[in-house]
Amino acid sequence: MKNTGFKTAALRERHIFASMPALLWQIVFFYVPLFFILVVSVLKRLEYSIFDNLTVQHYKALFDPAYYKIISRSLLLAFSNSILCFAIAYPIAYFLVFRIKHLKSLMIFLLVLPFWANFLVQVYAWFFVLERGGFLNSALLGLGIISEPLHMLNTPFAIYIVMLFCYLPFMIMPIYSSLEGINKSLYEASSDLGASSWQTLFRITLPLSSSGIRTGFFLVFIPSFGEFIVPTLLGGGKQMFVGSLISYFFIETRSIFLGAAFTCVSGFMLLVAIALLTVFLRLVFGRDRA
Amino acid sequence: MREIRLQNIKKTFEDELILDCVNLTIKSGEFFALLGPSGSGKTTLLRLIAGFETVDGGSIFLGNQEITYVPIHKRRVNTVFQNYALFPHFNVFDNVAYGLYLKKLSKDLIEQKVIKVLRSVHLEKHIYKSIDQLSGGQQQRVALARAIINEPDVLLLDEPLAALDMGLREKMLVELIELQDELKTTFVYVTHDQFEALTVADRMAIMNADGEIEQVGTPKEIYEFPASSFVASFVGSTNILQGTLIQDCKKIEISGIGMFEVVVPKEKTGLCEDLEILMSIRPEKIEISKTEMTGFTNHLKGKVDSIVYHGRSTQYLVELENGRILHVFEQNEEHFPQEVIDYDDVVHMYWQKENVVLLDK
Repeated sequence: MKNTGFKTAALRERHIFASMPALLWQIVFFYVPLFFILVVSVLKRLEYSIFDNLTVQHYKALFDPAYYKIISRSLLLAFSNSILCFAIAYPIAYFLVFRIKHLKSLMIFLLVLPFWANFLVQVYAWFFVLERGGFLNSALLGLGIISEPLHMLNTPFAIYIVMLFCYLPFMIMPIYSSLEGINKSLYEASSDLGASSWQTLFRITLPLSSSGIRTGFFLVFIPSFGEFIVPTLLGGGKQMFVGSLISYFFIETRSIFLGAAFTCVSGFMLLVAIALLTVFLRLVFGRDRA
Repeated sequence: MREIRLQNIKKTFEDELILDCVNLTIKSGEFFALLGPSGSGKTTLLRLIAGFETVDGGSIFLGNQEITYVPIHKRRVNTVFQNYALFPHFNVFDNVAYGLYLKKLSKDLIEQKVIKVLRSVHLEKHIYKSIDQLSGGQQQRVALARAIINEPDVLLLDEPLAALDMGLREKMLVELIELQDELKTTFVYVTHDQFEALTVADRMAIMNADGEIEQVGTPKEIYEFPASSFVASFVGSTNILQGTLIQDCKKIEISGIGMFEVVVPKEKTGLCEDLEILMSIRPEKIEISKTEMTGFTNHLKGKVDSIVYHGRSTQYLVELENGRILHVFEQNEEHFPQEVIDYDDVVHMYWQKENVVLLDK
């Protein structure tokens, strides 16, 4: 037991070597491009020179409420999508861990099955569900709940529901694995000491699965913030989001300086949002245990 | 502090019968041990009392109140778990205070009680430590403190010392006895270790591998007067020989070995002439010597087959004429014994007829 400190240090050293390929990959394909974007955002002209070529004019141009409205709309989408995913994913993960005894792996297989299809294909599949004569409308009409088909495509509703379904597994998986890792006798100990099921849920289960909840929130929040396929296709491009605006700058208007500057600004806002989210999660679900 | 009554308890797991018609009364305020080999259902019995499992038949009473289907958190019963099951996200204080938080007691009262309980298990110096900073023995004490702070009618202990080393285990056993003496709470202690059970228990029940209770009694009754060959050989070690009762049930004839005097106890009126029966004689109740001795009712000769030195005693395995092996314990009372018994020595073995226990086949 006394050698554990030494041992873990040795293990850590070995882990560094093992993670070299991943680190290299990340540097070449993530940090280097990010650095280029940062550089481009302060250039006047696209030249390999910094003399008389630096400017903050692109950032100044972004001091426009319209852009901040877009960023806050994306933040709102990311946050509410994370909350919705959590509200649905936690009961599902809980059910999988505690109620399902047989066919557990089949259930998990069914959960990840949509990932076998391309994301675009998944999104297009929703057209058939949400369109005027689509599955959802015919079902509701058939049941007599509505008398006229609902207009759902190209509305915020469509964006939210499809985002929810596409990102749900990213929330379920980490919560599932953190719940699965909790020692089952802790629940027995809790009720043995007088806790009802609800008290055990709030005092033991939720705090002990907080690391999975946190991972799930980040896995949903970050890509939701930059999401542009769903708003473009199912929102009809009526409302701009961060992702759609960036692609608009780079692809449609080819204003790469403005695009780079906006990417940096929204990236910075995302970092701030993540910091706030971390504090929020800590307040709600308790601190991560060491 | 009320008695527990188990009536006709039946429990199956996936068509496998674990407990079949178990009847047991544990008296109020006693230190009771459930001893049995693994798979004997002793832990299941404990979990039924705690409420972690529900019976498939029969009923459980705590005092006059039937608790068979009362939910876990409403039973005045607390458990010390084998793996301690301490909450890893709480420190020592919060772990112990958990039951009181749930009762919504005032902060001051909680603090008072927690400190008092932690003092009684000698943990007052570690109140604000996190669980993974504690040693196994200290975690064990936290588990104990957490379970007794609710002042339960019954404290259930599921192999609580199994993970501790020998020295610490003996120390904890003494502390448990003292604690029980002080609290007067009924303790139910599950173990597969006969040493632990014999040490702590006021009374104990021996369970066999089929989930049946073979005998209930004080440790001394169990050890000296086992009711079955299972109990005789599971608690302590013994020599069991099969024979036939002869001569007005005053002797037993063991084929190939000889005839020996026995005493048939009054309660065993079912024993009669010509009945095939088992005779159990504990190894330490046999005297061994190279020279002949007088004053014993029974005598047997054999050859020393092997010698195992245990420190406080020496175990001899003696081969009889028919090839049977008899175990004999001798206390090592002297540095330089007068007589040294060696391998292949021919030895005489003696025992008194009162020390033999007769068991049904």
